[in-house]
Amino acid sequence: MLPLLPTTVVGSYSVPEWLERLKTDYYRNRISRSHLREIHDMAIKAALKDQEAAGIDIVSDGELRRDNDIDYFLARIPGVQISVTVKSFYYDYYDTVVVDPLPADAAPLGLAEDYRFTRQYTDRPVKFSFTGPFSLSHRIRNKAYAKSADLIRALAQVLNAEARALAQAGATLLQIDEPFLAGYPEDVALAVEAINIVTKGVDVRWGLHVCYGNRYARPSWEGHYDFLFPAVLDANVDQLILEFGRKGYEDLHMIQRLGWDRALGLGVVDVKTEQIESAEVITQRIRKALETFPADKLIINPDCGLRHLPADVARAKLTAMVEGTIAVRRTLPAAPGQEPTVEQGA
Amino acid sequence: MSAPARTTQQHTRGVAVLVDFRPTGKLRGSKPVDVAAALGPVVDALAEDSVDLSRVRVVCDWVQYRSNFREVVDIRPILAAHGQPELTPVPLAAVVTEDEMEVAIDVRRSGDVDLKQLTGELMRARCGEVDLSRVYLEPWLATSASVIWEFNTLYWKALDLWEQATGRRYEQALPGGQSDARNRDAVREMITGLLGLWDSLAARNALPEELYIVELGVGNGSQAKTWLDEFVELDREHGKDYYRRLHYLMCDYSPHVLELARATVADHAQHVSSFVLDATQPRTALGFLRYKIFLVYISNVYDNLPTDEVAQIGGHTYIVQTRAYLTRDAAAEIGQLTSAQPEQVPGLIRKLLRLGPALLAEAASAHFPSVEAAVEFWRRSWDALRLEERYLPLAGLDLYQIAPTVSGEMLRPLLESGATIRMHVNNGAVASFVDTIPLLHPYGRLICHDLFLTDVHAYRTGFRGPGKYDGSIVNWLNGPLLAHIGRRKGFDVDYQRFAHRTGTNIVTMTAQVRD
Repeated sequence: MLPLLPTTVVGSYSVPEWLERLKTDYYRNRISRSHLREIHDMAIKAALKDQEAAGIDIVSDGELRRDNDIDYFLARIPGVQISVTVKSFYYDYYDTVVVDPLPADAAPLGLAEDYRFTRQYTDRPVKFSFTGPFSLSHRIRNKAYAKSADLIRALAQVLNAEARALAQAGATLLQIDEPFLAGYPEDVALAVEAINIVTKGVDVRWGLHVCYGNRYARPSWEGHYDFLFPAVLDANVDQLILEFGRKGYEDLHMIQRLGWDRALGLGVVDVKTEQIESAEVITQRIRKALETFPADKLIINPDCGLRHLPADVARAKLTAMVEGTIAVRRTLPAAPGQEPTVEQGA
Repeated sequence: MSAPARTTQQHTRGVAVLVDFRPTGKLRGSKPVDVAAALGPVVDALAEDSVDLSRVRVVCDWVQYRSNFREVVDIRPILAAHGQPELTPVPLAAVVTEDEMEVAIDVRRSGDVDLKQLTGELMRARCGEVDLSRVYLEPWLATSASVIWEFNTLYWKALDLWEQATGRRYEQALPGGQSDARNRDAVREMITGLLGLWDSLAARNALPEELYIVELGVGNGSQAKTWLDEFVELDREHGKDYYRRLHYLMCDYSPHVLELARATVADHAQHVSSFVLDATQPRTALGFLRYKIFLVYISNVYDNLPTDEVAQIGGHTYIVQTRAYLTRDAAAEIGQLTSAQPEQVPGLIRKLLRLGPALLAEAASAHFPSVEAAVEFWRRSWDALRLEERYLPLAGLDLYQIAPTVSGEMLRPLLESGATIRMHVNNGAVASFVDTIPLLHPYGRLICHDLFLTDVHAYRTGFRGPGKYDGSIVNWLNGPLLAHIGRRKGFDVDYQRFAHRTGTNIVTMTAQVRD
């Protein structure tokens, strides 16, 4: 059982400069794959420890094995061609192309192994995230499908197989990230259709994260979350994880009014600034959200991944987030002497 | 020594003196530099000295700025780490040398002096920490902290007095006699791109109501006027009335300059706001516009901001330290002008830099009977100002801070080859750049016209500053460094030679969000 207002992360964790350099060294063929894997193993253990020390209820591997939100997946999908695999900076995007339809029965991408590793080093519930088919498709030059929608559906099938492997490995909370969706509001219905392909037959709790971009800690787009509706109501997901800390909480009423009655991942930490929110600020933000959503529907998380923040800032932000959440929990009704609780993952 | 900087080895008493002749372009043509005439007397003077010649390097530059901070020959000590293991730098190159001195020759001027005698005198004077033939204005400092930048600041603050004294406007000191910021073709190209962008955003219902343009360093406002006049015309042709929503923000650290600029753009007063700010920290005033600015325009500002230089010599990394001085003769002449002893001149200069010439004339009337006399003192001091240089080892790039949020590690890609090079860090420009780009709208652009080098190799073949432009300083800009920093911040940085005027050294830098 998790406490009421469970705290979690969106996915990525601080990537220190030394790790950036080592990752770049790998993409410039200066260190071997096995050395990089060992480096990632160590970094993930440290990230888990940091999250636990901060008091995070649902932790992640920090996505530290990934070069960015796209290439880690595309490089593993059979049929996605990458002509130049050297990078001058690890975070750069590959130039990728699909010239033939993706094979239907490809081998797993290996994400389940990533999950197993994480599971091994923490007793806390683990969230495992991966980028959704809509966003992945936007970094592929499509020469195989007459319609881009068909490429998106094919990618969704690949991810569905991977989700099944993750569930089989013991994953109970999976999150689909769609960082590009806010830039293409007219395509939400298609994105939701693809999400439902990914989640089909995979019996876990599903989250969907939509933000306005966090590439190099900058928003890629601006706007309001009304573009998600009504299409997102058809998404077979249990949680919608959104960005509010930076943008403000005006959209909450609209989201509730437009019919979202499932769990909401409430962004309370701005990941695009190194200024550390105080616990009091976090408390105020949660209380503001409680005016619209009941406590048993809220999950507390940063706006997006913490990748671009220095480690000390990331730790301080998470600590403040947990402290602020605990302060709110104490004011919520519960049985005498008991912490208020909620089903895992809300 | 890396190609193509020409390197020869002069064998003297069985040892080698490494010679780095940088202005290779001056070796050919109708009046090629006489290398032997420049090098021979210097090497002879070195040979007559007791210095370990195997640890001496000779560098030849062509200092194109007629007014600059160098003597025809300079001696630059190359310091060693002082036996502190934790501060001992790890060489970046496998092959290292342990040079202890660099002798620099300005081959543009070397034909007019007795190089052997001059070099000999300098070699004898180097024995002490202080050269008694010089009056120093400061201790050894990183160049960006030198008093020369206070002179530079004073120039912009008291520009009107300087211009009165010289009888010419500062723009006339620029190559071509005016800023490229006023080039109408360049401005129209910029505006046309903006109008297209705004159309596309409007089509997606993503165009904000307020459309912000920022200019850093507005000068007399003529660029702003050119831009706004052209905008009105193009917007009228375009038919979308974006002018109604336009906010042009003029930024400068001089309230006086802003006032003049506001008068210049009086026709557009409803659309113009002005901000007093330091170009190296634009967010102190403009932080509220984060992600909202569509165009940041900067012309001939970066080259005038404080900079350090770093050097890679014989596998070791150094920061160049400088110490401003006047020759004793120059100090005596300036002192005579102001009824002061040479030793009093540094104190008067410090007072000048603190107060400015107008107040100096009041505060030290015994030395300066009028404001004009104080301005004359300023101009003479500036003209006579020189910099001694030395190389201080950098124990690690991470221990050197380029700008408040930029570590010296950013220099690594430019230095990791281990090849010998000396380059600008452009600390002020870097600080300005990294503090400006967060203001840009996701589709915004930073456009900068300035003296950018687009290849660090250019540092091996030419002198790139500092020079004196009228009363201000000019340094070329390390384009690859800014591009690397921009890239690490998620921006594509592109350099193109300024397309709208021939024969110019100006390069257009454009930075915009990647991906």
